[in-house]
Amino acid sequence: MYFAGVDIGSTFTKIVIIDSKGDIISKVIVPTRAEQRKLANKIMIEALNQANLSLNEINYIIATGYGRFNVPFADRQISELTCHAKGVSALFPSVRTAIDIGGQDLKGLKIKDGKLVNFIMNDKCAAGTGRFLEVMADLLNLSLKDLGEISLKSKRKVEISSKCTIFARHEVMEKISENVPIEDVIAGLHYAIADRIVRLVSQISIEPDIVVTGGVAKNIGVVKAIEDLLGYKVLVPEDPLITGALGAAIIGKNIVEGALSRGEEIRVGCRRLEEVELYW
Amino acid sequence: MSENMKGFKFVDEVYKDPIRKVKELRGKTGRKIIGYICAYPPLEILTAADTIPFRVFGDVNEPITEGNRILPPVICSYVRSIVDLGMKGRFDFLDGLIWSHSCDCMHKGGFVYTSCVSKPVHYILEIPTTTSEEAINFFKYELMEFKGWLEKLLGREFSMDCLKEAIEKHNRQRELVKRLYDLKREDPPLITGTDTLKIISVIEALPVEEGNRILEEVLEEAEEYGSRPKKRGARLMIWGSIIDSPALLQIIEENGAYVVVDDTCVCSRQFWLHSNNPHVKTTGDLMENLAKRYLIEVKCPRLYIGSYGTLKKDYKRDLEERFGYLKDYISKWKVDGVILHSLRCCDVHGYEVPQVKDYLDMLGIPSIYIEPEYDAKTLPPLKTRIQAFLETLSQL
Repeated sequence: MYFAGVDIGSTFTKIVIIDSKGDIISKVIVPTRAEQRKLANKIMIEALNQANLSLNEINYIIATGYGRFNVPFADRQISELTCHAKGVSALFPSVRTAIDIGGQDLKGLKIKDGKLVNFIMNDKCAAGTGRFLEVMADLLNLSLKDLGEISLKSKRKVEISSKCTIFARHEVMEKISENVPIEDVIAGLHYAIADRIVRLVSQISIEPDIVVTGGVAKNIGVVKAIEDLLGYKVLVPEDPLITGALGAAIIGKNIVEGALSRGEEIRVGCRRLEEVELYW
Repeated sequence: MSENMKGFKFVDEVYKDPIRKVKELRGKTGRKIIGYICAYPPLEILTAADTIPFRVFGDVNEPITEGNRILPPVICSYVRSIVDLGMKGRFDFLDGLIWSHSCDCMHKGGFVYTSCVSKPVHYILEIPTTTSEEAINFFKYELMEFKGWLEKLLGREFSMDCLKEAIEKHNRQRELVKRLYDLKREDPPLITGTDTLKIISVIEALPVEEGNRILEEVLEEAEEYGSRPKKRGARLMIWGSIIDSPALLQIIEENGAYVVVDDTCVCSRQFWLHSNNPHVKTTGDLMENLAKRYLIEVKCPRLYIGSYGTLKKDYKRDLEERFGYLKDYISKWKVDGVILHSLRCCDVHGYEVPQVKDYLDMLGIPSIYIEPEYDAKTLPPLKTRIQAFLETLSQL
């Protein structure tokens, strides 16, 4: 049996296919663009080709993420909070707190015995998410993926007082004009975002083990800043982008296995998958 | 509107435009329409004076524009909405309007309203925040003042016999609402949360006799129809700030859950749902009876109950005294989870949230806290949170 999870996030779209043992046999990650429905079709075909499977061989497909209602071949939609909790627990069974830092979302998840029990999300503001770093990388004319390494060279990080992306950008411009070394500016930015994250997630009381996922987990500077502010080591999965899609696939597996054990019929959705042409 | 419309059909029809309906009634009967904004003004007095009490709502679908010119954004958006609508003439049809000192925003909002909106004439009802004997006495005195204002406005006085009759009618209304909520104890509930709010907002726009007739018809129809929703779903309670539009309840119920009981202003609090005996005595000093019952029975966090003034605090007992009635709601309506709802900048509810949450944690009932704006357009982002909360209640 095979199960697929499709996670359409604000910045990246992820698909994971697992087999009955729960092992990942295929995964695809592409940037999210407009025309999410078309994109979902395109990358599902890619994922199926990678696994050498056809759509009908997939026993259950769950869509998650903020684009979860734009997956025309999904059997069910589950919120990304539940899916992340499930995916993270599969990778780290001892997890109690998961922090997912996506492109526009920041989520704190409280997990007990592999089940989501409490959560908190950022509200209207994208400070404390990947977007904050994207804006700053752009301003500094650096690649997003280099920020982490560069910040490790910092000897004296600057204070970025504002948590607002727009105001923080002004502060960074001021620091640049004062000739502050760039690594110190970036380190300051990492602490600013980490501070925002820790404050929000503290509302659900942080307990170890703590796992950090999402695109921002790839930034070593932010991860270290979070560890420093929390006073705990945190765990980061090898591929921190796919925990939502993985969790979705695992939930599909649980649903099918549960139904089979109760002798119930498995109801899949009215799936539509087609070759598409994208304009970009 | 056709004259013979009944029950749910009548509710649906009037819900679309309650102002038209109430104006029509005034045209026929000559009874004046007095608006009120919170659950504290004793409606018995308005009924006894042969007026139509009309509950004034904000409008989550009307962008606040004028109101923002005179009230800053840190002021409760519900109060701002009412001031905004007043400035735009929505309440010009009223013959009088009662503001209440239910919270500071409402109190000061009332003052601002008076200085910026000339119509209708208004009264600001003072309400104490404790239930001591002195507080009840003060409230009685305030109700006498209010009665005087009303009589002057109408140019006639009313007798205690009229008041007694009015009390009996409103006692009946509270009883009928209790029976309406009983239908929601079934699984799945016979009436959704969205429908409950519609029914109640309609009866709050009509004279009590009319409201009682509608409630009786609705009760009869609901029992005849059998269970209206067919699927079972998570049974939720919603606690908190005023909910006067179904927008939020719809988002919750579209996710497959039911709001089976509420502790909110327009619905259960107005009718003292928690009380085993929601009656005002019709013997003795009627004004005192009203003052006492309204002050004690309206379960609004603006009122401080609990171990007030004692030096030795017992936190658990304190919570029990303040929120014990929620435990009854949870067991009677078999509640799976609670949505704590505080409108942004609603001090009265915001300050209460940590303790209510503590109390629910003590009871082992999952809860989620949401803090939306009073604006339907800002609600859709809550969908993910509500869905995730329902998933935590499920087996996933």
